This record gives sequence, structure tokens and C-alpha cells, in this order.
Amino acid sequence: MSQLANFINAKQPLTSQPLAMTHVIYGYPSIEASLEWMQALLEMGVETLEVQFPFSDPVADGPSIVQACHKALESEPKIQQCLTDLGRLGRDYPNSKILLMSYLNPVYRFGITKLVKEAAEQGLTGLILPDLPIEHAAEYQDACVEHNLDAIWLITPNMPTERIKQIATQATGMLYCVSRSGVTGQKSSLQTEFDLAAYLAEIRQHTDVPLAVGFGIRSPQQVAELTGLADIAIVGSALLDAHNQGGIATGKAMVANLFPQLA
Amino acid sequence: MKSENGFYGQYGGSYIPEILYSSQQQILTTFEEAKNDPSFVAELHKQWQQYSGRPTPLTHCENLTQHLGGAQVYLKREDLNHSGAHKMNNVIGQGLLVKRMGKKRVIAETGAGQHGIATALVASRLGLECTIYMGAKDVARQYPNVFWMRQLGATVVPVKTGSQTLRDALDEALRDWSSSYEDSHYLIGTACGCAPFPEMVTYFQSVIGQEVQRQSLAQFDQLPDRLYACVGGGSNALGLFTPFLEDKEVEMVGVEAAGRGMDMGDHSIRLSHNLGQAGIAQGFASVFLQDDQGQLQETHSIAAGLDYVGVSPIVAHLAETQRVRMSYANDEEVLAACSLLLQKEGIIPALESSHALAVAFKEAADMRPDQHIVINLSGRGDKDIFNVAKAFDDKEFAPFLEEYLKNYHEQDTVQDLSESLSQETHA
Ligand SMILES: Cc1ncc(COP(=O)(O)O)c(C=O)c1O
Repeated sequence: MSQLANFINAKQPLTSQPLAMTHVIYGYPSIEASLEWMQALLEMGVETLEVQFPFSDPVADGPSIVQACHKALESEPKIQQCLTDLGRLGRDYPNSKILLMSYLNPVYRFGITKLVKEAAEQGLTGLILPDLPIEHAAEYQDACVEHNLDAIWLITPNMPTERIKQIATQATGMLYCVSRSGVTGQKSSLQTEFDLAAYLAEIRQHTDVPLAVGFGIRSPQQVAELTGLADIAIVGSALLDAHNQGGIATGKAMVANLFPQLA
Repeated sequence: MKSENGFYGQYGGSYIPEILYSSQQQILTTFEEAKNDPSFVAELHKQWQQYSGRPTPLTHCENLTQHLGGAQVYLKREDLNHSGAHKMNNVIGQGLLVKRMGKKRVIAETGAGQHGIATALVASRLGLECTIYMGAKDVARQYPNVFWMRQLGATVVPVKTGSQTLRDALDEALRDWSSSYEDSHYLIGTACGCAPFPEMVTYFQSVIGQEVQRQSLAQFDQLPDRLYACVGGGSNALGLFTPFLEDKEVEMVGVEAAGRGMDMGDHSIRLSHNLGQAGIAQGFASVFLQDDQGQLQETHSIAAGLDYVGVSPIVAHLAETQRVRMSYANDEEVLAACSLLLQKEGIIPALESSHALAVAFKEAADMRPDQHIVINLSGRGDKDIFNVAKAFDDKEFAPFLEEYLKNYHEQDTVQDLSESLSQETHA
């Protein structure tokens, strides 16, 4: 059984508010500062930390994250060092789980099997590769099984049932359920665009891995609305905007506001 | 060229955000059906002919041939397409597909603006909404094209992220498509992107090579010995080459932009000298200019249309399997070739196409007079007037611009004056 799924299931009786997954960018605004920011979040007790390794061409991301990734690249981050840094943080905060997110090219350069192996050695629990479709992922999936690391797949609105089934039945650790179309950071009210409950219920039919919901979450109401529907609420661009606005203090205030269990 | 599930050797595939999966599948099926539907193919040929002026001629360049003293030089005149470049062939094809899919809007990326203009033209004719993404630097460098796109009714969005050039425009177009796929089609301008775009764009451009097959048999009784084309994304090269792939005696040469030097950032050579490396970005696996961490790098060419960080997976595969020989020409050689064509044949070539000319002229001299080469003149050079005037160090051009600007503003003042006068009268 997946470490990540066990961890989430142990912490999350579905009747309570969702757990937090806070997104940060390695190297933004500098490598040091990004590690401090991650540490502050872990210190608050965020249950899961999603760390994005920056890429020059992040096509699934909106303006806030794109800009931050480009800024992060100025300090020439290295994936090897990133793994080491995250490993150290993970050992300092064993009550949280760290996931690595990256576009494919940096991973491909590093070596996909090597990345899975070394990420697992550093105690990371999952990987998210938003531009790797499941049909091209055999090597990656094999490595994940071998090293007991979770390959986290995305489910999107308007996905044909057949494909939901195809992905959900291969899911490990958790599923990243995108709550609307578009890229990260656009504003959205979870309930008005489409029937989120029905969407999550359909996914549930095909898997019992924990469900994480993300894209456009900015308010405590949006998080609260997920109670009973999802295990995890992912906050990315909104947190980045808050952090940009007022640094670590403002970022922490936002997390405390969104997730009462961490306040 | 037929792919294996979207792959050409190790290149190609579809590496896009999951949200685009259904749209990508829709394009895949619509394209398969359309190709096999005689009425679609008939409409395509009709539009190529009536709107773009196809077939384009194959021009024998006798003066040049004599001047070079080698092979017989022929130009495939894609510059005579409506809009002045081969880009039109693809846009007409995809435009018809958009209608077939019932979508109402097209999105496109553009570097120099050639593909943007072609897209805006066709969108206007087909009654489609049109949004063009263009790097902010390119907007500044190529404003006349932006002007025409806007006059044609397109929305031009300057992209201010990253290097602010073609690759960023492509990223931004993909982002738009991720939220607009239900009613919008991403009309990519070259043989790159996720499957089936490389195959589809190549299909629409192959009309170039098909015409050359017929024309060379009619005009000199045999197939050409060698074909030359510049390689930006790869669409004009694949258009010319693809119909000849099985004719083993026909040699094919692709020409990349060597820019102003061999340092990273000074050229757009992806396939020669292992300057580029295999990678996966912008929706497909191919060869990209990148650093050791897999970050895509900046590029340069005097020809905006060749200034791209990746290359078609089909070209990457044909180069790897040595079916296509890759070569390159630098900014200076390109200007010399452009100038030679102007003087010998009375044809104004695009700077992109002049890359193919540069290498072909060099090699033609070493061939026999009974051999024939065909160079793809992918576009006309009017658009390059500012760059070429500067590069040729034309003494009159800057004073002309200054004078023009002065008059431009004076006319403004006259108009402002008359407006304020008329307002006063009303008051
Ligand atoms: C005239 C002309 N030729 C060539 C190209 C390069 O594109 P491709 O390699 O797809 O033919 C362009 C691109 O803008 C162009 O405008």
C-alpha cells in the first residue's frame, strides 16, 4: 500500500475539512528563500507540500506561477540539489509528506528512472508530471513501483468516462482532480462552473485512493465546500500571490485562514 | 510521412496537459476522416487554387545557373502564395478542419508574423474569431504585420513572459487552448506540437512537393537530384521533401540558421553538430536547444521565422536516420544569397528562404550541368525590408524613416488642429 495514501487516510476522516496541500516553487524568489518558505509551511503542519521544480516553458501554469518559475531560473536551480534539499526538509518534518512536481524535460534530462530512485531515497512520497500522459509512462510507472513512490495522475473536467476509468484504476497515492479547465491561477468558483460533487463521485466509483482538488482555490469557503467530497485541497497560485504580496507572514496567514486545523 | 502512434523513431508523441486530451483526440479523428473524404480533399484543392493561387510555378533560373556554373537551379515559388509564404497551404487546410469540427475561434502563435497574418486572413474569410499570440519582442520588431492582423479583425496578444519570442507565444497559445478548447482550435503554424499536428501540417504542406514532382517531369523529364529548404519548425521543408521520401536517388538538404555565431543564444542550429539535444517540451519529443538542466535556451537568426528552439519531430527523425542531410547558413551568407537572387533573377526572397539559397548556391557550383536542384523559395522578402535595408547599410533608409515620421506627426497635428477647430465651431 502507498505510503502517501496511508498517511492521508490516517489523518483524514472524510467528515472533517480537507487536509492542506500547499504549492511552492523551488528557487523562488531564491533557493534560500524558497527553502525558508517551505520550512515555515512545514512548521505550521501542512500535511502535504507540493514543490515545483521550475521549467522555462510551464504550459499548464498561469501568469503567477510562470513568472515565478522564470524568476527562479535566474538562480540556476539543479534538480540534484533540489532533491537533497527536500530530503533534508522531509527528515526535519516527518509528520508531513513532500511531493515533487516538474514538467517533463528537466526530469527527462536528469533521467526519469534515476529521479524516481533518488526521490524515493530522499523520502519524497510522490511525483506529479503534468505533461506526461499515462500512455507514454510505462518506464516511469515501473520505476515508481520498484521504488515505492507514487505517480500522481491528473483527472480533468469533461474527461471521457473511459479515460477517467483508465487513469483512476492505475492511480496510486492520490489523484489530483482539476476542478476546472484552463491553467493554474485563474479565478473560479468551485460550484458554479459544473457539478463538482458529481465529478468527484464519478471518480470515486473507479478508485479508493484519496482525492485532492485544485486549480483556482482561493477562499476558506471553497475549501470548506470540499468537506465530505475530497481529502485534500490544493492551494497554489493564490498562496504564491499572498507570498508575493507580504512574504512569509502573509502566506502563513492565508494558509491559517484556509485550513482551520493549522491555525 | 506516416507515424507510429504519433511517433517518428524516438520523436513526436503527445505530451500535453491532460485537460487537452479530448480536443487532441477530436483533431486526430477529424483529420483522419477528412483526409479520406473526397469532398474535403476537393474543397481543399479548390481553396488552394482560388484563394492562394496554386499551383505555384517552378522557375528555372538560367542566369544564376550560368553564374554558378554547375547544376540547373530551379525555385519552387511558394512566395507567390496569397500572403507571400507557404504558411497559407497549412492555414487553408486547418481552417477547413475547424469548420468541420464546428468550432468558432482559432488561436495561433506567430514569430515574425507570417503565420499570424495567414491565420488572420483565413479566419476573416471563414468568419472565425482569431487570437494571435506573439512575443512582445517580435511585436516590437515586426509591427507592420501586427497592424495588418489587427486590421483583419484578429486580436494580437503580446506575450511578455520568458524570452518574449516565438517559443513563449507557443506556450501562451497552449494555455489559451487549455481553457478555450470547447469552441477554439489551436491552429499551429509549423510541423511541431503534439500528434497529429506534425503529420497534419506536413500533409497540408505536401502539396509543394507533389507539384514539384509533376513540374520537374514536365519541365526537365526527370526528378530533381537535390532538394533544398530552410528549416525553422520544418513545415516548408517537409512539404517539399515528403513526396520524394521513397525516391532514394533524390537527395534532401535542410538548412538551419547559424545566426551570428556558434555560442548558445547566437544561432538556431538544433540538428547539426549535436548543438541541440533530445527533449520533451511544448507538447512533443524532439531535439531542442537546452542546457544541462533541461531548460530551453534563447535562439537567434536574422530571419525571425527560423528563430525557434525546437524542430519538427519528423525532421529530427529524418536527420537522425540520414534521409535528410542538415546544413546551415549564417546571417552574412544569407544576405549575400538574397542579394544574388535579387540581382540575377529579379526575385525578392524572404530571409528564411535565403538560408536555403545560401547553401544551395554554394553546392550547386560543384554539380554537373545535367543535374537539377530545386530550392524551396518559401516566402517573399517584402516583409524584411527594414532588416535588409539595415543589413545592406542603405544610406537613404534611415533618413527616409525620419522624414516619414516627421510628416506622420505633422499630419497628426494638422488633423488634431482641424478637430479642435471643428469642436470650437460646434461650441
Ligand atoms: C517565409 C518563411 N519560410 C520559412 C519559415 C520557417 O518555418 P518552417 O520551417 O515551418 O517552414 C517561415 C516561418 O515563419 C517563413 O515565414
